[in-house]
Amino acid sequence: MIRATDTAVRRPPHVPGEAGVWVFIMGDMWVFALFFTTFIYYRAQDVALYTSAQQHLNQSLGAFNTFLLLTSSWFVIHAVEAARAARAALSRRLLLGALLCGAGFVAVKYFEYSEKIHAGLTIASNEFFMFYYVLTGIHLLHVAIGMLVLVYLWQASRSASRNGAELDISLLEGGASFWHMVDILWIVLFALIYMTR
Amino acid sequence: MNTRSQLLCAWSGFVFAVLFTLGFWPLAQFMPPPSPNLSAADVAAMYQAHTTQFRCGVVVMMVSAGLILPFVTAISVQMERMEGAPGILSKLQLVSGAVGVIFFIVPCLAWGMASFRPDRAADLILLLSDLGWISFLFAIATFIVQNLAIGFAILGDKNASPAYPRWMGYFTVWTAVLFMPGGMLLFFKTGPFAWNGLFVFWIPFVVFFVWYLLMFVYLRKAIIDQAAAAPGH
Repeated sequence: MIRATDTAVRRPPHVPGEAGVWVFIMGDMWVFALFFTTFIYYRAQDVALYTSAQQHLNQSLGAFNTFLLLTSSWFVIHAVEAARAARAALSRRLLLGALLCGAGFVAVKYFEYSEKIHAGLTIASNEFFMFYYVLTGIHLLHVAIGMLVLVYLWQASRSASRNGAELDISLLEGGASFWHMVDILWIVLFALIYMTR
Repeated sequence: MNTRSQLLCAWSGFVFAVLFTLGFWPLAQFMPPPSPNLSAADVAAMYQAHTTQFRCGVVVMMVSAGLILPFVTAISVQMERMEGAPGILSKLQLVSGAVGVIFFIVPCLAWGMASFRPDRAADLILLLSDLGWISFLFAIATFIVQNLAIGFAILGDKNASPAYPRWMGYFTVWTAVLFMPGGMLLFFKTGPFAWNGLFVFWIPFVVFFVWYLLMFVYLRKAIIDQAAAAPGH
């Protein structure tokens, strides 16, 4: 996010968003770190079960979702850039792009879950699927919360524009940071649950 | 403003935390919680041993639960200050907090009944024990709403000197999210998502406790600040 023009002016270290939002983000990352550690610990007790159960996962759908979230993060970065450049309308369109990617993620997850359930693989099937459903489910909840945050930012930007004002940039940065966290957590989840051999 | 009664209500929340811990931990010996995987005979044996001490623990927890009510009310009074004009979040917090107390009382009823006739059929003891634990840890609904109400009120505080620090707002919302894995406990009898597991008991319990104490510290501070800022002081 560093632009050439920034180097001319020396700025103090910048924390994106307001400081408090990082209490939430760090707290969430800490819990997910514990989720990941727990998964690795239980997996080590019965590697054979985990690798054989993993065969039933659809790596392509998982990879496609990774692509969707990475794209959404790209949209969010540029939405922040656009807002900084006082191009509020463009910023809102980019937020909408991120939102669409998020909706795509949810849709893919719906197909993925129903595919599993039709194949008789549920949360009660075995320990691997317990982690699969709970961890991806809690992550999906975060995607939903993130989408609400994006809608809120879009709304706040529009009402600011209507009042001839500019959106408080730290609001946008805070929401963007949360969305990036949702993205990063998925990347780790995908690697851990879908790919670990 | 009625500073003294508000402070009393805030302190009653602190007394709740102390008494409930005393009843739950050393008296009822619920730390760590019994596994949901125990057999009926094992659970019945648990209630048959140290029955009197266990009953004392349940009585202390039952009495302490009432002290949540003044605490919840004091939080709402400070939330009214955050919201400025008559606001909906302070009322939402009040009703969800009031209903939430039930999920401290119902487990005490169930555990108390289990210890009332500990010599009855082991299966019935098991049923009451399940009723106690599941109503204690599965009843997440009102606590999520309550924490979201408090969190959003703190974040929406537009006063020049806000009642609570803003990070407390984010922390409160995060605590609400942490309660959600509690919904998983119906599916498991062992592992991290069982009722004695890391993500259903330990993390929500520890974080709730820390949140509760911080809530008390800053509630007390907010009441004192309000009194200091009041005209004629």
